[in-house]
Amino acid sequence: MLPQVTDDPGLQVLRIERRLQRERAARLEGEAIAEKGLRELYEKQQRLALVETIAAASNQSASIEGAFNLAIKEICKYTEWPLGQAYIVHCSSEDLRLEPLQARHVTDEDALRPMIEATSATSFVCGEGLPGRVFASATPVWVQCLATDRNLPRADAVVACGIHSGIAFPILVGREVAAVVEFFSYKDQEPDAALVTLLGQIGIQLGRVIERKRAEDRLIYDASHDGLTGLPNRLLFRDRVDRAVARARRISGEHFAVLFIDLDRFKLVNDSLGHAAGDNMLVEIAQRLHGVLQQHLAAYTLARLGGDEFTVLLEELDSPNKAMQIGKLLIDALRTPILIDGQEIYASASIGVTNITGTEPSPETPLRNADLAMYRAKSLGRGRVELYDIGLHDIAVERLRLEGDLRRALVNKEFILHYQPIVSLETHEIIGFEALIRWQRGPQDLVFPGDFIGVAEDTGLIVLIGGWVLREACRMLAGLQARYPRPEPLAISINISPRQFTQPDFIDQVRRAVLNSGLEPRSVRLEITETVAIGDPERTILVLTALREFGVRISLDDFGTGYSSLNYLHRLPVDTLKIDRSFVTGLGLTAEGTQIIRAILVLAENLKIDVVAEGTEQEGQIRQLADMGCHYAQGYYFSKPLALPDLDALLDSSAPLSKVAARTAD
Amino acid sequence: MKGIIFNVLEEVVARQFSRDVWEDLIDNAGVDGAYTSLGNYADEEFVSLVTTSAEVLGKTPGEILRWFGQSAMPLLATRYPYLFESHRSSRDFVLSVNTIIHPEVHKIYAGASCPFFHFKPSDNGSMMMAYHSKRKMCMLAQGFIEGAANHYHDHADVHHRECMLNGDKKCLLEIKWAA
Repeated sequence: MLPQVTDDPGLQVLRIERRLQRERAARLEGEAIAEKGLRELYEKQQRLALVETIAAASNQSASIEGAFNLAIKEICKYTEWPLGQAYIVHCSSEDLRLEPLQARHVTDEDALRPMIEATSATSFVCGEGLPGRVFASATPVWVQCLATDRNLPRADAVVACGIHSGIAFPILVGREVAAVVEFFSYKDQEPDAALVTLLGQIGIQLGRVIERKRAEDRLIYDASHDGLTGLPNRLLFRDRVDRAVARARRISGEHFAVLFIDLDRFKLVNDSLGHAAGDNMLVEIAQRLHGVLQQHLAAYTLARLGGDEFTVLLEELDSPNKAMQIGKLLIDALRTPILIDGQEIYASASIGVTNITGTEPSPETPLRNADLAMYRAKSLGRGRVELYDIGLHDIAVERLRLEGDLRRALVNKEFILHYQPIVSLETHEIIGFEALIRWQRGPQDLVFPGDFIGVAEDTGLIVLIGGWVLREACRMLAGLQARYPRPEPLAISINISPRQFTQPDFIDQVRRAVLNSGLEPRSVRLEITETVAIGDPERTILVLTALREFGVRISLDDFGTGYSSLNYLHRLPVDTLKIDRSFVTGLGLTAEGTQIIRAILVLAENLKIDVVAEGTEQEGQIRQLADMGCHYAQGYYFSKPLALPDLDALLDSSAPLSKVAARTAD
Repeated sequence: MKGIIFNVLEEVVARQFSRDVWEDLIDNAGVDGAYTSLGNYADEEFVSLVTTSAEVLGKTPGEILRWFGQSAMPLLATRYPYLFESHRSSRDFVLSVNTIIHPEVHKIYAGASCPFFHFKPSDNGSMMMAYHSKRKMCMLAQGFIEGAANHYHDHADVHHRECMLNGDKKCLLEIKWAA
């Protein structure tokens, strides 16, 4: 059965009107829902567009300021906030502060001037003011009513500008607050969670800009600085010198100079105490140099070129003499010993100075000149400052010529050997000789090793020269032994240079020289310096052990002048210690000189090692050495180094023996 | 013209007269009559409704537009309260038309063609408002301003210093708010 429906026309009209009203209400409700949806969609799109604009700009921005400027402008445009500005965290030696960044958007500069000025003049510590609170909490801070806010250093400016609300949010790099952006509104802005989320997203984009800039800065810094000391490296130093040369050309009355600093015998520290200790020492030295420069100069660049080489560019000097004074101060700064791993190390440096004239063709020129002056300082005895002059250039040219001459000398067989007797202080007999090289450069021109061995070392010619010395000395001794047979055959001491020792076939070279001469290996003593011995300790021990097994003997030269530890000495297969002439000279002069020799003799006795004293010149020294139990000596007191014919004459006469006997008998 | 304008006009007519009057108006104006707030309709339909109303009520179209503007305000305030709440006077409200009201209109009605008003304070303390539109609805603007004044319980005197209806290039309305 169907429901009853009224057929009264009046009732039907009323019913239709009700239906219409419902339809209208439904339409209005539908429209309201659609409008709300459209409005939200629109706002979402706007927010998305804002983030996209800022993200795109952030990816392309060349600078932090540029990216922040754009972001602040876009946010102000979107929110209609009249003022937005940024701070960046600045790390000083005392604390972390928020410093104003050159990024600001302002709609009405005149009206907001008090706030801008108050901001430009202020920096905020953690927790202070609106940005400081963001810095402390690493979260956004929304102050709806600034008038009642108690933590507001800029309260006066806020009142003067009629600002009502303040909003600030952090720019994070990881969890660290790297910057803060703040906005102000004239209106009473209620906190808006969606907007805070939006600002957070923008913060992520800006954080990436800072992160990228930091990575860039780091790369540039690394490329231009020394990793160990943090000082500028060669690249940056060259650039600074280049600019200094250009300035010197333009400006008269302002003086510039370059200092080249090379540490003396730094390699010994590295070799004996290890590279970590060497590194610590370099850092300490860099700090000391810095300290001096900071105290005396307004403008300078201290750089580390590598290894133990430092350079300084001095600028704005009032006189050209100032650079030498600074050089001396730098040397003084190294006088106090440096404590490395509980050990006191005495550092010293040789410094070359050159004034920049402005006429240098390239930044390399002042560097090279200072380098030449530094070499000069080294050759004059280290620990000193030398000023470049044109003569040094001539010296460098001379060195080159010397190198050429040395090569020819090898070919032309211009080298000869002289021999200095080594005498037993017990029996007063000559027991052997030390072979010493000379260069017969011309008929009347005999060159001593001090004048050419350095160049030979630097150029590697020493390997060839040393090989010749080894063969020649063995050959000579074989002849001598044949002419002067003894129950204990005469022996020969041959100096081995560091470079020669490091030759991979060094052991074979020695074997061949000895076997070819027909000598008993035990007649040959190889003299190595402490520098050689500690260069590569493990290899040194292997090589020396092999040589001893072959039968030759090992003598440690210049003992006491280097840094070798006693523990290491104990492990070295050594037959003889040679007491350096510097100690012998001190003998009898000071109590210390005598004590040092006594200590070496006691040590040698315990280790069952022979001792030869070098550089004996006076009778008193001989007597004292003999009394203290020193076995052997050599020096001018007995005989200067002799050419072979004179050597034969000496052995024939046996005069020195009687001389020794006569002088030590009474 | 956006459908919302037609809807508000319908409401105004229904409230002051009756729904039947609106039905007659639609019939006499020869327009379709099915308007949804989100739809777009020809400007001519609105003009036709205004012209027809003027004829029926014995008024000028300008007078109808002004009356419509005044009467529409309470309805708009009910429908879009957030546009009114952030202002404390009709002056504030009127001055926000370019920066707040029309941008808000755009959020909901994409593609709505809203006029731009140039405001300039004059020396005598009143505000000069320039208006330029091919629709020439300066009287509607005046009605809206007066309606806003009623909403905020203040008073605004509007004078047409220049008017496109009189052949001027633009309309220049002087608005004087009572202190």
